[in-house]
Amino acid sequence: MNWRRALIAGAVAIPVLFFFAWGLTRDPGEIPSPLPGRAAPDFALEVFAPGEPPLARAVGDTVRASALKGRIVVLNFWASWCLACRDEHTILSQGARAYADQPVTFLGVLYNDEPRKGNAWIAEMGGQSYPSVNDPGARTAIEYGLYGVPETFFVNAEGRVVRKHTGPIPAAVLKGILDSLLAAPRAATTP
Amino acid sequence: MTRLIGLDALWLSLAVSLFGVLLVPAAIIRRRPEWLAWTRSAVYTNFALLTLAAGAMVYGLVAHDFSISYVAQVGSRATPLLFTVISLWGALEGSILFWAWVLAFYAAAVLWVNRDREGTLVPYASAVILAVAVFFGILLVGPANPFHLVSPVPPDGPGPNPLLQNHILMAVHPPLLYLGYVGLTVPFAFAVAAMLNGEVLQDHWVVLARRWTLVAWALLSAAIIAGMWWSYEVLGWGGYWAWDPVENASFMPWLTATAYLHSVMVQERRGLLRLWTLNLVVATFVLTILGTFLTRSGIVSSVHAFTQGTIGWYFLAFIGVVLVAALVLVAGNSDRLKSEGQLGGVISRDTVFLLNNLLLTAFTFTVLVGTLFPLVAEAARGVKVSVGEPFFNRMTLPICVALLFLMGVGPALPWRGVSNDEARSRLLPPAVGAALALVIALMSGVRMPYALLAWVSAGYAIAAVLREYQRGVGGRMRARGERWLVALVRLVRGNRRRYGGFLSHIGVFVVALAIATSSALRREHEQTLRPGESMSLAGFEIRLDKVSGREEPQRAVIGAAVTILRGGAVLRRMEPRMNFYPTQQSPVPTPDVRSTPAGDLYLTLMAFRPDGTTATIKAIHEPLVPWIWIGGMIVILGALVALWPTPARATEAAA
Amino acid sequence: MTASTTARTRRRRGAGIAIAVLVAAFAWMVFGGLDKNVVFFLTPAELAAKGNDGYEVPVRLGGQVKPGTIKWDDRTRDLRFAVTDGSGEILVHSTGAPPQMFRDGMGVVVEGKYGRDGVFRSSSLMVKHSNEYRAPKAGERPQDMYKTLMQGGKT
Repeated sequence: MNWRRALIAGAVAIPVLFFFAWGLTRDPGEIPSPLPGRAAPDFALEVFAPGEPPLARAVGDTVRASALKGRIVVLNFWASWCLACRDEHTILSQGARAYADQPVTFLGVLYNDEPRKGNAWIAEMGGQSYPSVNDPGARTAIEYGLYGVPETFFVNAEGRVVRKHTGPIPAAVLKGILDSLLAAPRAATTP
Repeated sequence: MTRLIGLDALWLSLAVSLFGVLLVPAAIIRRRPEWLAWTRSAVYTNFALLTLAAGAMVYGLVAHDFSISYVAQVGSRATPLLFTVISLWGALEGSILFWAWVLAFYAAAVLWVNRDREGTLVPYASAVILAVAVFFGILLVGPANPFHLVSPVPPDGPGPNPLLQNHILMAVHPPLLYLGYVGLTVPFAFAVAAMLNGEVLQDHWVVLARRWTLVAWALLSAAIIAGMWWSYEVLGWGGYWAWDPVENASFMPWLTATAYLHSVMVQERRGLLRLWTLNLVVATFVLTILGTFLTRSGIVSSVHAFTQGTIGWYFLAFIGVVLVAALVLVAGNSDRLKSEGQLGGVISRDTVFLLNNLLLTAFTFTVLVGTLFPLVAEAARGVKVSVGEPFFNRMTLPICVALLFLMGVGPALPWRGVSNDEARSRLLPPAVGAALALVIALMSGVRMPYALLAWVSAGYAIAAVLREYQRGVGGRMRARGERWLVALVRLVRGNRRRYGGFLSHIGVFVVALAIATSSALRREHEQTLRPGESMSLAGFEIRLDKVSGREEPQRAVIGAAVTILRGGAVLRRMEPRMNFYPTQQSPVPTPDVRSTPAGDLYLTLMAFRPDGTTATIKAIHEPLVPWIWIGGMIVILGALVALWPTPARATEAAA
Repeated sequence: MTASTTARTRRRRGAGIAIAVLVAAFAWMVFGGLDKNVVFFLTPAELAAKGNDGYEVPVRLGGQVKPGTIKWDDRTRDLRFAVTDGSGEILVHSTGAPPQMFRDGMGVVVEGKYGRDGVFRSSSLMVKHSNEYRAPKAGERPQDMYKTLMQGGKT
């Protein structure tokens, strides 16, 4: 064996691997959305699934985006016909509980579906800790530039969309984004 | 119950294959070569266990056992039995399970076929395959576990992806693809084994690796052709190749394997290009894993890509191990792999093979760059781009034409080189074929420059190859007084590799001519018709009769009944359709194709009014398309001729 | 002996240089080819922001079909709609039938060129489904939508 040559050759592989590792953190299907950084479009949507205490909202209540200013909003678009939504259901439900004592609001938005089916789905999945609203005609989805479900938008305390995640959200990503958002406003508001 | 059997079989198979792999270093360090017998047992046991696991999955699918996560994901009570069975490879987890099974099959087959062979080469090689199997075993009990428990058990599932249950070729293409793709692990395993036991300079690993490559290559060729055929019959755009990353992923190892099959001849005949050939074996395997990584991790966007998940990181780790290990082994052994001779003269088969290898490598590189460029552009400039057909066609068409030409020159020239006069007498006569081909092409209306060049090159090459057959047959007929058919059979039998190879070349020419002509002379027309109205294309009159629907167990179908007429006479009735699957947002168009040796008439239902008063129909006329599939079969036939086992005595002599 | 060795190294070096030149030329060709043949993927707002550079170059435009803008004439096979990303919007014109279930709010990717007249001429239209499985809503089942076309109910 010519070890010197062998080691040089082995080292050649490293940058290639780093390149692919970087590629894995990208989503090729994602269309660059101009939304992040902009003011979150306002909406007024009716609650159809109450969620569970302490996060519950009464069915029929109207949730307005403008009323959530000052809180971080996790807006998750989902549907009962969406298989990938099943994957992230537990992560979101537990995430909402974990951040219950923080200024974070989780809100599910039902996309292209019927509240009756949405409720049946929640029951089948063993409940959802936070409330969900209906989006008739997918108006809000279009304003947010929704590409497909599931898709999750993160709105910061100033009411700007700061992040968008397409596809089922991994627990680590959810936690990472929320923790950085929770750290950021404190730094900004206490100069 | 089924679920637990499958799951336990997977865990046991992982343990057994890990055990089999680890025995090899243990046997070397402890100097106990007899331990390798256990590795053999591990290979067979692993195959039995994975057969059990795959069998459990098929059983679960057929029995609609929706407590198994994979069945709940792809199964449906309404799906016909055949498509239920083949949905084994319809989604990610099942395809990994199938992959692992094929790999286990190859490991066992390699051992079984070479069971009488002494030495460490075969056990080492099967241990290398087993090491790859360990990786797939980890995937199967980890991120791609198909045997998760679903609770509560759903009453029914969504059924497989409609595109995969729309055509019977889905039962053929994926298994062939996996058999070919996974089969390329075998030559790599022999190469690694030879490097590990220091036999890399000897010839017997080369002979073994070459034969297994040819097996995998033939299967991969068949898979690529079947894949083209499937996308032609199903996707409704009348094309068969789109340079999609998934297609490229199967094509790149095919290119390097083809280069290897040629360079290995130079190595065996002339003792040259040893290091190069070894690199091709390794590159081919790395490209199969890279291709799988690209298409399974969601790193590049593709129509066919499976959904992404954590599996990409596992593949990345595996590529890292393979790449580093392969580079270290090859570079570490490179000193030993000095060439023994000198390349022949400029006008020799040596040169042609060298050029062929350079072109095939350049081809692979182009495809690789085009496939990865969107990722590079995003990394370097932060822009999203896509690399489409124009790039690939522009870069690869000249290479294809040059390769076709070389396929005519190579067989006509001897090894080492010839005098100029001799070269002239060998190379000039086939030019008649080139001229003839040019005339035929011009008369059929081909005007596209590359299509004409392809005709000329292929015409030249066909003439050259036929001349080789003719010289061989003629020689026998003169020398032994045999009739020509007897002489042909005995000629081929006497040198299967040579004449099988030539037959494969003829298949390639047929494919090339069919592709060149069908794309040069393609005509299409789209029109909205009322029932009773007609449109015309390429001399055909296409009349819409009626738009109607019907319900089938797993789908609803809307079809446009169309009559094809020529000169007022009814030729045939056709029905392009749209299939509506309950789980799919939009319908799956199902084209109807009328094939004749001269070409295809291809109809797609593009749109219709809900009340059936109009239908928009796209008609495409593509000459010679069926010859692509026929040519593909000739290629495979040639490989079979070359592979057909010769009597044992003859093999030994050849080796 | 030495003379032949140096001659050999010299020849090897010559061959090495030739190969390097070949590889470089080939790489230059490939990347040159790429530069002319890549298609940028843009949203309507990004395409509009490109100004003059955005006209008459091949682009893939991604976004949603703006509700209420689809106009499809099945006789002339003339299809017009607007693609929006929430902040910008671009009019698209294509010839050819839209996918059967083409409708408002759907994610689309159109490939074509943006003309100076402010209309994007599309050569191909792809509907984007990020999820494949979706239960049809009431009245959306083909059996219901195309009731008049169905023959004799269930077969």
